[in-house]
Amino acid sequence: MLKITDLHAKIGDKVILKGLSLHVKPGEIHAIMGPNGSGKSTLSYVLAGRDGYEVTSGSALYQGQDLLTMAPEVRAREGVFLAFQYPVEIPGVSNKYFLKAAYNALRKHRGEPEMDAGVFLKFIKEKAKLVEMDPAFLNRSVNEGFSGGEKKRNEILQMAVLEPKLALLDETDSGLDIDALKIVAGGINKLRDPKRSVVLVTHYQRLLDYIVPDFVHVLSGGRIVKSGGKDLALQLEKEGYGWIEAEKAAA
Amino acid sequence: MTATLNPTDRFTALFEREKSRLPGAGIAWLAQARAEALAAFEAQGLPHTRFEGWRHTPARVLTETDFVPAERPAARGGHAGKILCPVTFHRVLVYNGRVQPNGEGSVYGEIPKGVQVSSLADALRDAPEALKAALTRGFSTDGMPFAALASALFCDGIVVRVARHVRLDKPLNVLYVSDDSASGRPQMTHLRALVLLEDGASAEIVTESVGGGRAPFWMNILTQIELGEGASLKHYRLQRENASGVQTAGTFVEVGRAARYESHAFNFGGALARHDLRVRLAGEGAECALNGLALVRGEEIVDHHTAVEHAAAGGTTRELYKAVLDERGRFVFDGLVDVRPGAQQTDASVYNKNLLLSEDADVHTNPEFKILADDVSCKHGGAIGQLSAESMFYLRSRGIGESEARRMLVYAFGSEMIERVGLEPLKEALTAALHARMPEAAEEAAR
Repeated sequence: MLKITDLHAKIGDKVILKGLSLHVKPGEIHAIMGPNGSGKSTLSYVLAGRDGYEVTSGSALYQGQDLLTMAPEVRAREGVFLAFQYPVEIPGVSNKYFLKAAYNALRKHRGEPEMDAGVFLKFIKEKAKLVEMDPAFLNRSVNEGFSGGEKKRNEILQMAVLEPKLALLDETDSGLDIDALKIVAGGINKLRDPKRSVVLVTHYQRLLDYIVPDFVHVLSGGRIVKSGGKDLALQLEKEGYGWIEAEKAAA
Repeated sequence: MTATLNPTDRFTALFEREKSRLPGAGIAWLAQARAEALAAFEAQGLPHTRFEGWRHTPARVLTETDFVPAERPAARGGHAGKILCPVTFHRVLVYNGRVQPNGEGSVYGEIPKGVQVSSLADALRDAPEALKAALTRGFSTDGMPFAALASALFCDGIVVRVARHVRLDKPLNVLYVSDDSASGRPQMTHLRALVLLEDGASAEIVTESVGGGRAPFWMNILTQIELGEGASLKHYRLQRENASGVQTAGTFVEVGRAARYESHAFNFGGALARHDLRVRLAGEGAECALNGLALVRGEEIVDHHTAVEHAAAGGTTRELYKAVLDERGRFVFDGLVDVRPGAQQTDASVYNKNLLLSEDADVHTNPEFKILADDVSCKHGGAIGQLSAESMFYLRSRGIGESEARRMLVYAFGSEMIERVGLEPLKEALTAALHARMPEAAEEAAR
């Protein structure tokens, strides 16, 4: 599904990713953990195609294709989805209209006809139930005036509508209280599928109590320095990141 | 010999030539009012870039074009498909500066009792004394030479009068259509409109101007609005000249005690559109809401100069103008709120927000307060921004293409002003018009 090899990337003169490699197979859930400033968000943005990041070497293949040369919208239409750490507010664009534009762009890309407005409305109302979202939010401007939890739920709603093959969830747990976290995690779990891969980027282990990963990787200094199973996350929770840094320094 | 006259003198010569043929020519008080207005115009002359209030607004198209008074259009009725206003409204059609009689493009036969709608020329013929007070009312046209010129030269216009506590049942659409005459020369028309709402009266008026010809057409209109105690006017102004169209509009509004004036100005095209709006909140608790949305592109210039005088206590002003600028468009905003001594508990806000889509476009914004009372709440701000890169990425990351994403964001910026329109059918028409004026050219430039 996703094969990242020796990826180097920088913003301006600041080198952030320094030889990152990661291999994600269909249906797998990978958690990427790491201290602040280790390059977690940069990895998400580089994969989603945000401007301002320069890949200096290495590659990222998505379903065998070069992901890094695709425009952001093409990546999305091909099935890559980034749930933002800080979802953007767009006053004046209704959530419903936004979802419809995104969904129809996807259908067009696949050579399918646009979905009729009435049918689409039923479709998204069903999806809104997944994240326990009040349908009134569909008529509001995208994320405008939403609470932190509502914004994150809205991200998962978009994911449910677009049904990506590869979902990158960037700090989806940040800023959530425990109830909101459960709802968001519940939504993600309902979207688990043997053909859908998920990369969870997170600072804390607690999200992994609700979404159990197949693999846990520690990102530090722009590279993955340690990989393991879900137990690794528990160890990190208990002992922090210091011991890995020490291990790395010793090596 | 005309060619050797300077542009200001050309108008003087025109006035001397035409004055005996202008409506109400035999009425002494009107002749005097016209002569005084011409003197006020001559004292100011035509604007240039050192002219106060015109520094950022090149008026060359006005001063360098040899306009002749508009004549009957060569062909008629080519505007039918272009009108935004629904046909269900009352309609007065003003074709090349002449009000068309009821049933001939105008449809206002079913006006309720207590409401008068007529051509100004007809009203001056039939009952001139009823207009004397309004037409001789003194107001300063400083900085507004074209308002003075319209006052001197007007060839027609409309009169709307609504009696005490009467409500105009349906919106009144005043439709200005311009088209080439047989000669194909650049034409101009000077018009005057009177809107008088007595105490407790209410009305909705939608003025719409549409250009159809190839030659430049200049419409110069002076509008005078008086709102009695508790009266309410919603005034929609849709300015949609074609690329060679020019409009200069001066509007004076006097708002009585607890009365409300609401204005929505939409600029959707034209070589030059200059609007001067002067509102005087004369009575206690008077309110005004001034809204504007301008879509400016090509070489177009849109200029809004607004001035609100809070002359009494407890007045409210809510003002927001927005502009979307593309290509080499220019937008000028000057919004003054003048709080007079004694106008306590004034509550006023003036904002101007601009979205620049092109590096070649420019904006001059100047929201401003003069405050001579001490117990007031006044806020103002001006902003000039570009499309947010963050929002663009967010939309694109959901599969929405770059040009569609730009369109969505521009639409979102402008739609706030359309949301404020209370008339549902008009709102729909404006939404469609906004979609139709989306910046294709900007998309090309962005690539």
